[in-house]
Amino acid sequence: MTDQTPLVRIEGVSKHFGDTVALDNLTLDIARGEFVTFLGPSGCGKSTTLRILGGFERPTSGRVILDGKDVTTQPPEKRQVNMVFQDYALFPHMTVKQNISFGLELKGMDKRGIQRRSDEIMAFLELSAFGDRYPGQLSGGQRQRVALARALAPNPALLLLDEPLGALDAKLRGQVQQELKSIQRRTNKTFFFVTHDQEEALTMSDRIVVMNQGKVEQDGTPEDLYFHPASRFVAEFIGETNLLSGEMRGHEDGAVVMDWFGQTLRGHAPAGAPRTGAPITASVRLEKLGFHAERPATANAVQGKVVGKTFLGSRMAVDLMIEDAQGATLRAFVDAETGQTVGADPVWVGWDSDSMAVLRD
Amino acid sequence: MMRGNRIFLTCFYWAFVLYVFIPLILMITMGFKDSKFIGFPIRSWTLDWYASVFSNTEILSTFGYSVTIAVLATLISVFVGTWIAVLLEGRKFWGRMVIMGLTVMPALVPGIISAIAFRIYARLLGIEPGMGAIVWSHAVHTVPFVALVVMARLSTLPKSQIEAARDLGADPLIAFVRITLPYLIPAIIGASIFCMLISFDDFVRSFFLGGYEPTLPVLIFAKLRSGMSPEINAIATVALVLTAAIGIWAERFTRRMNKDS
Repeated sequence: MTDQTPLVRIEGVSKHFGDTVALDNLTLDIARGEFVTFLGPSGCGKSTTLRILGGFERPTSGRVILDGKDVTTQPPEKRQVNMVFQDYALFPHMTVKQNISFGLELKGMDKRGIQRRSDEIMAFLELSAFGDRYPGQLSGGQRQRVALARALAPNPALLLLDEPLGALDAKLRGQVQQELKSIQRRTNKTFFFVTHDQEEALTMSDRIVVMNQGKVEQDGTPEDLYFHPASRFVAEFIGETNLLSGEMRGHEDGAVVMDWFGQTLRGHAPAGAPRTGAPITASVRLEKLGFHAERPATANAVQGKVVGKTFLGSRMAVDLMIEDAQGATLRAFVDAETGQTVGADPVWVGWDSDSMAVLRD
Repeated sequence: MMRGNRIFLTCFYWAFVLYVFIPLILMITMGFKDSKFIGFPIRSWTLDWYASVFSNTEILSTFGYSVTIAVLATLISVFVGTWIAVLLEGRKFWGRMVIMGLTVMPALVPGIISAIAFRIYARLLGIEPGMGAIVWSHAVHTVPFVALVVMARLSTLPKSQIEAARDLGADPLIAFVRITLPYLIPAIIGASIFCMLISFDDFVRSFFLGGYEPTLPVLIFAKLRSGMSPEINAIATVALVLTAAIGIWAERFTRRMNKDS
């Protein structure tokens, strides 16, 4: 039987550091078993949220409810929350096993219980061979697993992860991302992950909360955020995109109609449509632009001249100049073979109204 | 040109080393001379002076007395110094710089002045000259070294270590005992050895605050006044070898501990 009440409820939480507002009236629920990622640039309030959940900062106002109990003023040691630190914070004078047992000891578990649980978690994370080593004798990836094991051992209701992959090299990072996701699925724990790396967020999360200047920019699934960004900030922060500035014209068959340098385009507005006549920005992902020899039947179609190509291996980025739109440019991804053939003649590019999101500024 | 420079610098270095160590070498050599008079030429060698030092109960008990004072002063100094370091490091509060200044001052006050000040103060408080007074003055003198060394070490302890301990269920006291203290151990051991050597070596404070029983430096001084004898060289050599050995060991030990963590 699954419990439908949210595991964490953040109610109107603000945090001020002097005159700086780190977190501005955040309200949010986190469901049980969810992998939720807080994504944003440094200083956006994501780490502050994490530290408030961990008990290391006290909010200036608002409440934090964990599993139905108000924990706003509870110190970290009283919370059923554990954290994987950015620098792992392994205790250098303790072995791997002692590190992992530390939390169990302090929970008042008896010797046999500690032994059983630490063996279990070390086997689960493939650390059994390293039990007697000191953190100084481990590689970066192994340390990261020890930090995870130590945080998971006391069986927390919520696991906080503070950019734990930042210290790993690119190759290892991809592997650990898969591992983390699979660990989360197997343990069925609620993970609260903080990162500034959009790719990391897209790969692992069930849900992404994009933060900017202490506020939530957008809250949704990775697909939602990628294809239907609500704001310019989200569109630019996640992936690469074409931003089209134009003017709002009105609605037609459930689509939003806009004028883009004399071209009439159709899109959708996930964050609500602005009034007619207002200046607006719309976003189309590079891979949503299709190349055609003839004018396609898509909702939007413009003719362009190829002005630049960038070879990216499996695909190619093509820069187009649209003469009918006062020389505005678009960038598109095509597969490498198509990319090689286009160039000499003008091409048609087309995209659906569903692929173009009108943004909130 | 470069080569000439190098030869000059090398020669200069060795000349300096000789200049520094010749007095020590002379002192050690004279302790093995089979004559009551210090000076060249040396016609025959002996270990008699060492034999007489090790069979002299006065010297041995004085040595023990000095060691006891050093250990007691160090215990107090380490406790107080660590306490101050923990209080001051990484915190901002009103009066921090004042406490810091007052902490460091005893290391800067000339020995003779602090010795006289202690003497007057001890009389006012009704403290008899003797071991208690000496221990007290040595402890005050060495607290700054402990505080500074421990603070330096503490400043390199990542904040996340304590937060991780708290996160795993440790209250602030448990986190201090199980995480901070082990982290400070190399610094504390290093500082302790240093304190003991300072205390063992101290003459002025021990002289002014001592009772009837002399510490080793005071005894050597008293013996010097009744005439130089190779016996003093032997005492000094033993003290030199012991302190050098302990100092080098402590230095290596702290370096190894620092590297491990």
